[in-house]
Amino acid sequence: MGPLLYICDLIVYIGIFGIVSLSLNLEFGFAGLANFGKVAFFLIGAYTYALLSQIGVPFYLCLIAGALVSAIFGLLISLPALRLRADYLAIAVLAFGEILRLIVKSEKWLAGGDWGTPVSPIFPYTGSYIIYRLENIGLVFLCLFICFLVVQLLANSPYGRVLRAIREDEVAAEALGKSKAKYKAQALMLGSAMAGLAGGLYAQYLQYVLPGMFMPMVTFTVWIMVLVGGPANNWGALLGAALVQILARGTNIAKDYIALPIDLNDLQYILFGALIILFLLYRPQGLLKESQVKTKAIGRVRHGRNAIRNKGSQ
Amino acid sequence: MEETLLGIREVSKHFGGVYAVNGVSLNIKGGGIWGLVGPNGSGKTTLFNTILGLHRPDEGAIYFNGKCISNLAPHQIYGLGLVNAFQIPRLFHRLSVLDNMLLAARGHQGDRLLNSIFLRKNWQEQEVELAGKAMQILESLELDHLALSPAGELSGGQRKLLEVGRGVMASPTLLLLDEPAAGVNPNLGKRIFQGIEDLSQEGLSFFIIEHRLEILFDFAHWVYVMDKGKIVVEGKPEEVLEDPAFYQVYLGA
Repeated sequence: MGPLLYICDLIVYIGIFGIVSLSLNLEFGFAGLANFGKVAFFLIGAYTYALLSQIGVPFYLCLIAGALVSAIFGLLISLPALRLRADYLAIAVLAFGEILRLIVKSEKWLAGGDWGTPVSPIFPYTGSYIIYRLENIGLVFLCLFICFLVVQLLANSPYGRVLRAIREDEVAAEALGKSKAKYKAQALMLGSAMAGLAGGLYAQYLQYVLPGMFMPMVTFTVWIMVLVGGPANNWGALLGAALVQILARGTNIAKDYIALPIDLNDLQYILFGALIILFLLYRPQGLLKESQVKTKAIGRVRHGRNAIRNKGSQ
Repeated sequence: MEETLLGIREVSKHFGGVYAVNGVSLNIKGGGIWGLVGPNGSGKTTLFNTILGLHRPDEGAIYFNGKCISNLAPHQIYGLGLVNAFQIPRLFHRLSVLDNMLLAARGHQGDRLLNSIFLRKNWQEQEVELAGKAMQILESLELDHLALSPAGELSGGQRKLLEVGRGVMASPTLLLLDEPAAGVNPNLGKRIFQGIEDLSQEGLSFFIIEHRLEILFDFAHWVYVMDKGKIVVEGKPEEVLEDPAFYQVYLGA
């Protein structure tokens, strides 16, 4: 039973972080927004879920509320942040995440401060941890599927094309009639909502929230997922989430079998750092290349092109 | 009397102490090709950028179709049908040539967030039409075989053509072109202007900056000459060519 439990746990994590990875991919991969405060929105979703579930709100409403509250914060931070240049935006949201974490760490009256607060699970314990985890896999992957559908539809639409254009050259996009402020704010809102949803699922699965779960390292881990998998490719974001989770777990397992002079948990961070450097140097497009915009109109042009080419070769 | 399409009233724009545009007034009426010439640094591109909302005028006002546009954002001015093509092409390099064209379309329903998720049928048909129009324009620019290639793979001249093509794609009322014939071979330069003339006969108005005077003067029906931020001469091309002030601007003395 041991290994199977472990694998189920891994799959839940891949699902939850797959959602966060998709959300960062929307913001950074498509819209070019360097959101280094991802963990803040994850935290907002988790704490919203925890606090609402404690007063007896049904779980689905808690999840939706987590996403909404997170989206509102995404919109609010977009107001000052989008006036900043990309690198300053990164620092501003990074600071926002840390400020939030320190606030929930310092308060005592709301969610237990440093000690955190318990979250009641959706699925009652029926005597088998396997079943508990399978139920969670079902819930998490249902949410992941919905998020994936949304970002795929966006990526393959004129809207996604505008986001990519703003990423490439925002002055030119503005000169072509696209309001960069509106699009960036929307991307941050939607990305934050998804991160908030994932935060709610995380709180629910772990049955606990505490400030230590929301260190800046969470943000960087999600960045590695997107950079490794391939920015502006939603399949890449999922692949990256899976690979990084497996690697993280792998070093945890290997710790028991390999005797090294250093702790493998620390080695994991070194590996992650090396991974980012290697990818940025040798494969900046990630494992999967950017996906092109696919719409009916583009498909027709492609089809027409192939038809002409086939005729020519006959 | 024809209606004034673009009215510029005493517009000034300065950077620090330098007046790039200094009290310029002009009236562009609907239809035809309007030229803007002048030596380097005379303020032509700054005037264009001010019209487009990329700079805010320090003094004066700009009217388009009778509406004051001096305080509008660039994307709002674009929405009104006042469109430009940059002097140095600003393409979206990782997007395909066709994507670049489709981005220029005005009023694409699929540009909206909720439409792109929930009302895909509504814009899919619209986009098929837009893509057809884009392919026609690309064909006339001899870029249609590159429609699905990334714009970053185009040569310098082709980028220039695509930049002009994007402007046409917007179906504007007035299209500002900043040196459409610069950096392309003489034949192609002439062909670009012939295309511009065809479009102007269909009712589209042009306001064009061009250093290649020999081409511009063949096609423009009215020319403004700018020097040191001011309009110094204006008139029909043949009149301008006879004006001593025009030669003074270009030859010094």
